[in-house]
Formats: sequence, structure tokens, C-alpha cells
Amino acid sequence: MIPAPVIQTSQLRKAYGKFEAVRGVDLCVEPNRITGFLGANGAGKSTTIKMLLGMVKPTGGGGSVLGRRIDDPGASVEMRRHVAYVSEDKRLYGYMTVAQIIRFTSGFYPDWRKDVERDLLALYELPPDRKIRLLSKGMRTKVALLLALARQPQLLILDEPGDGLDPCGVEQLLESVVARSGDGTSVFFSSHQIAEVERIADNVCILDKGRLILDATMDDLRQSYRQITLAFPELPAESEFQMAGVERIRSNGHQMSLFSSGNTEAVIERARTLHAMSIDVTPVALRDVYLQTVRAR
Amino acid sequence: MSMLWYKAWLETRVRFLICLGGITALCAWNVYQTDREITTIVSDAFYSSVLHARHELLVLMWVLAVNLIMMGGLLREKATGAASFTLALPVGRARMAGVRIAVGLIQMLVLIALPWIGMYLAGSAFGRTHSVSQVFFHAGLMAGGGVVYFAIALLAASVVDGEYTAPIAAFGVVLVIASTLSSPGTRTYNPLYFMMGSGFYNGRTALLAGPIPWAQIGIYALIAACLTWGSIKALQARDF
Repeated sequence: MIPAPVIQTSQLRKAYGKFEAVRGVDLCVEPNRITGFLGANGAGKSTTIKMLLGMVKPTGGGGSVLGRRIDDPGASVEMRRHVAYVSEDKRLYGYMTVAQIIRFTSGFYPDWRKDVERDLLALYELPPDRKIRLLSKGMRTKVALLLALARQPQLLILDEPGDGLDPCGVEQLLESVVARSGDGTSVFFSSHQIAEVERIADNVCILDKGRLILDATMDDLRQSYRQITLAFPELPAESEFQMAGVERIRSNGHQMSLFSSGNTEAVIERARTLHAMSIDVTPVALRDVYLQTVRAR
Repeated sequence: MSMLWYKAWLETRVRFLICLGGITALCAWNVYQTDREITTIVSDAFYSSVLHARHELLVLMWVLAVNLIMMGGLLREKATGAASFTLALPVGRARMAGVRIAVGLIQMLVLIALPWIGMYLAGSAFGRTHSVSQVFFHAGLMAGGGVVYFAIALLAASVVDGEYTAPIAAFGVVLVIASTLSSPGTRTYNPLYFMMGSGFYNGRTALLAGPIPWAQIGIYALIAACLTWGSIKALQARDF
């Protein structure tokens, strides 16, 4: 039996007046995996996440999280019992101390792990008696992470979790996320930091200008995406390579660079028939996939 | 649920305690000062008129205090960057608002009761007597009309964006009501005038007279209930 997706949306839309922030997104996030959610500033990532959590009402389409409809307030409350969320904005309650916000938050979740709370307090070196408003941005991020990680949720949604963290903090965060995933928690992880996503994600979704332009597993990306550099005695027309899987073509002098999402063998075959002098095929990093996919639009 | 009460208390306690301490101290100090300045034996009526004047001052301070205390909630949290955290909790918006309203109502009543107890005790300490029923009458009028201002402050906090904009907007509404309903023909409907008890004040005895105006209190309660309902609906409909 195929396990039900933890997040599923169908033609999800959000418009603010005439501006469409999210334009018909079809997401399917599989359970027990780490899914990276990439996109530029203003691509619609946070709006999508807020719609999933019932903070923003969709203007079209729909969806479900853990099998509960996102546009039903009652179902949304029930869903949030099983979801831990770290928001993009991690200022929290400035009037509470670290200990008070932990006490407050733990009261809502029967699955609160006191042992994990103690470990994270020590690991993050958080001062329990200090007011949140007196903490640095990085420390507030750590408090927000503690509040999400000291539980046993089915789904962990992180919106720019590394924002404000130093390299050690980012490392601790990534280790925690991987450990959580290993414990059976599904992770949906939005970030600008492509390197972070590439290190830990099993799946990647890329959002651009409110549209989902890529939804693939990291394994597929590594196997399918290629940078192909061709050299010709006389450069053929770019239209010769406009075929399935070729995302972008760039010509320069006697060289032609192609970015392909598959069908590499056919491209090589075509290059040979056009008497290519050299054919260089290299695998690409997620960063290249992201940049090329977004630029192609 | 109890954690929402805990949060509402932590969020408002500094403002509430400052308002409570300030108003109570000011009222008691006023009574004490009045007693010191009175050098001859005065009638009970004079003392009652002094208390009534203090009550009018208390009403003005109370309206300001309620605006300050009700500043908060999801819209202010949106401005301060905490709304996403609150809304991710497994609690509905109506319940969140309900707890905030309940805590605010309790604080509002304490802000009426304690200053009056302070004035009463300060007067008693100097051998001045004042009818307990008069104290209750003043306090009842204050609570009866005050619910309107409480609900206005709540509505402003539920529809006006910004960290400090809501209390300013609510105070603007208070001023508009005060100036609109200030003529002799309309001020009977003015909640501020009602709270001060001016319509029930007997200048000769310096006491409030007449039956408790339940009908008017009921109308004010109804207005407050409508505004509160509107506040909750506005919060439920809002995107954060």
C-alpha cells in the first residue's frame, strides 16, 4: 500500500488583490522524507506554508495536511496537534522568558519530550531566565527550534530555519533535522540556502513566482540533470537541440552549452551527427538545477 | 486552555499592574490630601461630593487604562512577529480571543474595585464615612458603561494593524463619542457620562439617587456583545 502524502495540495492559489502570490500549486509531500522547498524571496513559499497551517485562507484550490483539510478551521486545529512549525519570523513573545515560553508551549502538546528539552537547552546554551526580547536573533532562532524539536510531531515544517544561525548552529540544526527524519518525522523544509537543502533533502520542490516548477527526488536530479558542453568546427543552429529534456541552450563562439533534465543520450547522439569535436557531460549540483530552472522561465 | 490564561496574564500584567497601582494610589492619595486640607468639621455631603469628583477622575483614567490593557492580541503579534507562532498552536482563534476577553474583563473589574476600595479605606482611616451602597452604585455604573469602551478597545485591537495603532484609534473613538454625545439632549446616551453617574447625582446630598438603570446597562451590554462578536469574526476572517 502506498502511504498517504503528509501534504497534498491541488491547484492551491492565493491572491492579494490583483497580485497572485501562489498560482495553482500541486504539492505532494511523501511521509518519512525530508522535502526541501526552494524559491527566491517572494516566490510564495511562506504564503504556501501559511495556507497549509490555516493562517492564510486560499483563494482557490485546496489541500490537506496529515489527511485534514486546510480550509476547515476545526480540522486545522486537530492537524496542528501533530505538526511542529518554525516560522520565518522567530521573534516569539518578547515579554516571556525562555523558561516561560517553554512552559507555555509544552502545555499544548502531550508528546512534549522533557529530556529533549533539557538536551537542547544545554546544546543551544539558552539562558532560561532571560527575556526573549533580550536574546540575539540567533538565540531566538534556537528557542524557536527547541520549541519545535522537543516534541514528537508527525510533520515538522521549517520556514527558513537557518536564518540567523552561525555555521555551528546550522550544523546542529541539520543534524537535528536528519535525526528527526530518522525517527519517522516527515520534514518540509523551506530555505534559500541551497547547500543546506542539498545536504539533507530526499526530495526537492522549487517554487518560482507562485508556481511549482520542479518536484523531484534528489536521486532523480542527480541521475537526470546534466551540463553538456559541445564544441563544433562550425556552430549549428540552437534549434537542432530543441528536444525533450533540454532546458536551456547557450552558444558562444564554437561552443554550445546545454542544460538537460534528461534525454542526455539523445542529445549526445544529435551532437555526434552534427560532427561535434568534443562532448563533455558533467553532473550538476542542486544550485545549478535551481538557477537554470528559474532562469529558464 | 490554562496556558492561554497564563499567556494573557504575562502579556498584560505589566500594563495592568502599572495602571492598577497608579490609579489606586492616585485615588487614595487624593482622598488623603482632601482630608488634610479640610480644617473644619465638614458635612457628610461635602465628603461625598469629594468622592464623587474622585470617581469622575477615576472614570477617565480607567478608560485610558482599558485601552492600554486591551492593546495586544493577534494583530499586535503580527506587528511584533509572534503571530505565526501563536497561530501554529493547536487552538482556534475564537478560543484565543475568548481567553483574552475573559482576562481583560477580570482586569477591568479589578480596576474598578480596587481604586474604590482604596478610596473607601483611605477615607475610613480618617474617620470619614461613606455608604457602601453608594460605592456599589458608582462601581456598577462604571462597569455598566465601561463594557462599551472595553469592547471598543477590543475591536480596535482586532481590526487595526500595528503595534501601538489600536489604542490610539480606540482613544480617538472615545473622543468622538464624547464630543458627539455632549449636548444636554444626547449626553444621557453617552457611556462616559453614564459611568460618571452625572445623571443620577443629587447636588444637595452629593449622593447618587434613583433605581439602578438596568435597561441602559442592558443596552450597553448588548452593544458591547455585538462589538465583541464583530471582533472575533474579524480575527477569524483575517489572513496572518
